[in-house]
Amino acid sequence: MAKKDIRNNDRHQQILQAFQAAVGPENVKDNPATVNAYYGDWLPPKLLGMSVPPEFVVLPNGTLETQAVIKICNRYKVPFIPVGSNQWSLTGSPNRQGTVIIDCKRMGKIHEIDEKNMYAVIEPLVTLAQLQAEAYKRGLYIGSPEASATASAIAGHCFQGMWGVGYRLGVAYRNILGIEWVLPNGEILRTGSFSLDAQNGFWGEGPGPDLRGMLRGYAGAMGGFGMVTKMAVKLHPYPGPKTWPVRGTIPNQISELPEDRFKWYIIKYDSLEGAINFMYEIGKAEIAGVVQKWPTVYYIWWWANSNEQYWTEWQKRTFQDNVKNAVGVCLWGFTSPKQLEYEKRVLEDIIKETGGKPIKQEVFDLWVPRTANNWIRDTHGSRMMRPSGTFLALRLQTDTLKYAVDHVRQGYEWVEKFSPPILDCDGPDWIGGYDFGHFGFGETDFPVEKRAEDIGDLMNKLLAMTKEDVQNGLENGIGPFLGGPYHQMAAPVFNYEHLLKGIKKAIDPNFVSNPPHNIDPNA
Amino acid sequence: MAKEMLLPKDPRYLRYPLETPFDKEKARWIAFNCSRCSVCKWVNSWQVKSARYARICPQHTRYLYDSHSGQGKCDLALAIIDGKMKWDDDPEIKDILFRCTMCGGCDAMDKNIRDAELIKLYRWMRSEYIKALGPLPEHKSLIDSLKQYDNVWLQPRAKRNSWAQDLKNLGIKDLNNEKADVLLFVGCTYGLSQELKPTILNIAKILKQNKVDFGILGDKEICCGSPPDKIGLLDEFERLGTANIKRFNELGIKTLITPCAGCYGTIRVEYDELPVKKQFEVLHVAEYLDRLVADKKINYKKELNLTVTWHDPCHMGRMGRPYVPGKDLEGVYDEPRRILKSIPGIELVEMERIREYAWCCGGGGGAFTGFKDFAQWTARERLTEAKDTGADVLITSCPWCESNLRAGGIGMDEKMEVRNLFDLMMQAL
Ligand SMILES: Cc1cc2nc3c(=O)[nH]c(=O)nc-3n(C[C@H](O)[C@H](O)[C@H](O)COP(=O)(O)OP(=O)(O)OC[C@H]3O[C@@H](n4cnc5c(N)ncnc54)[C@H](O)[C@@H]3O)c2cc1C
Ligand code: SF4
Ligand code: SF4
Repeated sequence: MAKKDIRNNDRHQQILQAFQAAVGPENVKDNPATVNAYYGDWLPPKLLGMSVPPEFVVLPNGTLETQAVIKICNRYKVPFIPVGSNQWSLTGSPNRQGTVIIDCKRMGKIHEIDEKNMYAVIEPLVTLAQLQAEAYKRGLYIGSPEASATASAIAGHCFQGMWGVGYRLGVAYRNILGIEWVLPNGEILRTGSFSLDAQNGFWGEGPGPDLRGMLRGYAGAMGGFGMVTKMAVKLHPYPGPKTWPVRGTIPNQISELPEDRFKWYIIKYDSLEGAINFMYEIGKAEIAGVVQKWPTVYYIWWWANSNEQYWTEWQKRTFQDNVKNAVGVCLWGFTSPKQLEYEKRVLEDIIKETGGKPIKQEVFDLWVPRTANNWIRDTHGSRMMRPSGTFLALRLQTDTLKYAVDHVRQGYEWVEKFSPPILDCDGPDWIGGYDFGHFGFGETDFPVEKRAEDIGDLMNKLLAMTKEDVQNGLENGIGPFLGGPYHQMAAPVFNYEHLLKGIKKAIDPNFVSNPPHNIDPNA
Repeated sequence: MAKEMLLPKDPRYLRYPLETPFDKEKARWIAFNCSRCSVCKWVNSWQVKSARYARICPQHTRYLYDSHSGQGKCDLALAIIDGKMKWDDDPEIKDILFRCTMCGGCDAMDKNIRDAELIKLYRWMRSEYIKALGPLPEHKSLIDSLKQYDNVWLQPRAKRNSWAQDLKNLGIKDLNNEKADVLLFVGCTYGLSQELKPTILNIAKILKQNKVDFGILGDKEICCGSPPDKIGLLDEFERLGTANIKRFNELGIKTLITPCAGCYGTIRVEYDELPVKKQFEVLHVAEYLDRLVADKKINYKKELNLTVTWHDPCHMGRMGRPYVPGKDLEGVYDEPRRILKSIPGIELVEMERIREYAWCCGGGGGAFTGFKDFAQWTARERLTEAKDTGADVLITSCPWCESNLRAGGIGMDEKMEVRNLFDLMMQAL
């Protein structure tokens, strides 16, 4: 029997015509080959058959067309998902039939870069790499997640927001200023100074309560609160060159920033506690631009230029034997070379006082030029999927650096318990801080082979673990960034369930904005 | 005792399977392991120098939907291989597959983050599509021409005689009857286009002046097989490629040189897939002449006073070497630049997207013949980028790039002259 083609359905045709009228016929597609490109990636949904292709992909241009599209979604009560570069399928791929993907490909303008007041006004397609390039030219900078700077800058600001330079800039969403935003019900909301003047985004707060919080939450709104069509984001003073320094040919590129303004250190401790103590001391001294305690796999994920190199080096234990409990620090001479000299002296005192030791010079030389600057401008993040097709994270914790230690320690136990299918990884202990270490996170990532059996098995175990965490009232470490079902479990623990559900009910009466993310008001 | 390491069970994660032939299983491996990271749509982040020139993929930049990208083609391949879609399920599949210049921009960016060969995947997809639905009407004239005349320009074999005659007048050897160390393989486009013919004469003159022992095959030269290879007509590629290798081996040449980037990439890299093995070195004319420049054998007589920019042809650059995971995506990048810098009065200024992350001219993959609107749109992007450097002239060395960039420039407000490297060299000699 011939497959039933949903496109012959009257309702489908009505919705199609409505979209076509709103954005132009060439900017809506419903054909199988196009929608097929919008529902999968390295994360479990597609592999486990949990995601489905969307019914439509729509490309509005600007706030008014986006509003028209979202109003049509409300009229026909069809779910929509706003996407940036669409790397995060757990919240960005349809989990129910009839979904509309609102793709931002026609919204790629940088409206303005205000050098004096240090902010940029951008549309959703603009990538962090694009924004970085323009900012560097003006002596300014912005960070990027380890997903790589090809991520949408707006998505990067209102999703997880954990950047390599977070130690200095805070969680990315703290850098959001004015926003122009189409709410799930199709109303346009302008916040900060955009509310007074649609051309002027320099100020973030108001009117009234700071509504930016709705986009931030614990890990962003995940497309559950409508679509941001324009955002003003803060840029920061940058002591680096106007063009990013890089030499060599793909995949063996080297990036070295000027020595009189940037200096990398990788300092090793006997214990994780020692490493965290070092991070606190650096924060107290208010020095450095990047401070990160990476897990061993991070060193090799970013460094290896082929699968063979990855697994050969891993079996030689080059990184396992040298970087365990090490902290990567990049000092920046923000104001002058003299500042860098001062910071070097301070850091060297801290290293002495805390009993740290530089890692072996040969390992430092092997790793730093090829890899370290990814924490300032990431270009290799997707290498995380290279050695086994995918990786997973147990939990994400956001609290203090100290708490992160307990968190990743539990991570060791879980990895031990679930290996295999978890592959060799030397402990999932990524710990970083924001705002000079006043606030910290721990993330527990490890490689798993991309096989439906292994991933399915592990996902069930992770879900059971999360339920157990919730029952034990574990206040942190739950992975709400993974999406709705997790958020659903996490919200009561954090005690913001009522607030989140209330907001969702008020602005998304038809429950069309990326359900069930960020929360299901009726669950 | 140390614990045993837990490594992936599938050996392909331990070492990428490079062995030929490229088959369905390899295609699925590449498609299945696409992580939807979008790296194939943008210039590698470290190389992005401005917001304006941050894109790498002409197809995705022009058609916007993710289906029209490396990632989208991976999704499509997976759906087809896993039986979720058939080639004739959707007429748009044709555009997804063929409105793509096979420029390898996506492939190069992807190779920065994983071991994979997107261009080989697309070639396999195109060939499967053609097996299922037949060749594209847009490529009919090209295919007919290959079958009838062994060239892509619907011109009788004897037509090659016109330029061959000019070369013979210069006293160039005919390798059908004589022996030489070097074969100058002209290629169909330089060989048959009146507009581009002077380039071959100039190359021959430069070689002659430098006493290079070389010759040509004249009207016995046949297509290298690049166009059928790129449009998925793999039988035809195999026919032409095999005949060529056998013939070149028989000639006993040490080196084959060609001024066409398409021929170069095909003979140097793609021929490795064929059962007959090459017994000669393959160089682009730019590589060969660069050696003469390095040996100070080229004596320029005139100063040109021009600011120029160099366009890296894809098949001479990022696709000009066999893939070895983890090794540099080497290509002929430095040689033409060194030649340009050797010419008195030439100032070389660079575009933002160069070398392995260059933006394509738009003329490859069958687009020049089959999808002119898209090919010329892509060319206009490149010409605009060239204009932004402040250069007077864009220099390149590929007949497809030259022709397509010139065609794309027609009607543009700001003109950018397009010239061949060897013509410029000759002008200074
Ligand atoms: C390998 C890898 C490593 C990563 N590491 C990090 C990390 O270190 N730190 C970190 O912070 N993140 C990390 N991430 C997650 C990362 O932040 C996001 O994937 C990325 O920033 C999102 O960009 P995107 O354009 O792909 O967003 P998308 O995947 O397109 O969107 C992410 C979410 O935001 C929503 N969204 C997108 N655009 C809009 C909009 N305009 N308005 C409203 N909602 C929108 C989507 O609906 C979706 O729910 C990682 C991801 C990967 C794949
Ligand atoms: S760069 Fe490679 S892995 Fe990433 S989306 Fe493109 S094809 Fe997929
Ligand atoms: S080969 Fe070129 S045009 Fe085709 S998908 Fe890759 S980058 Fe785009």
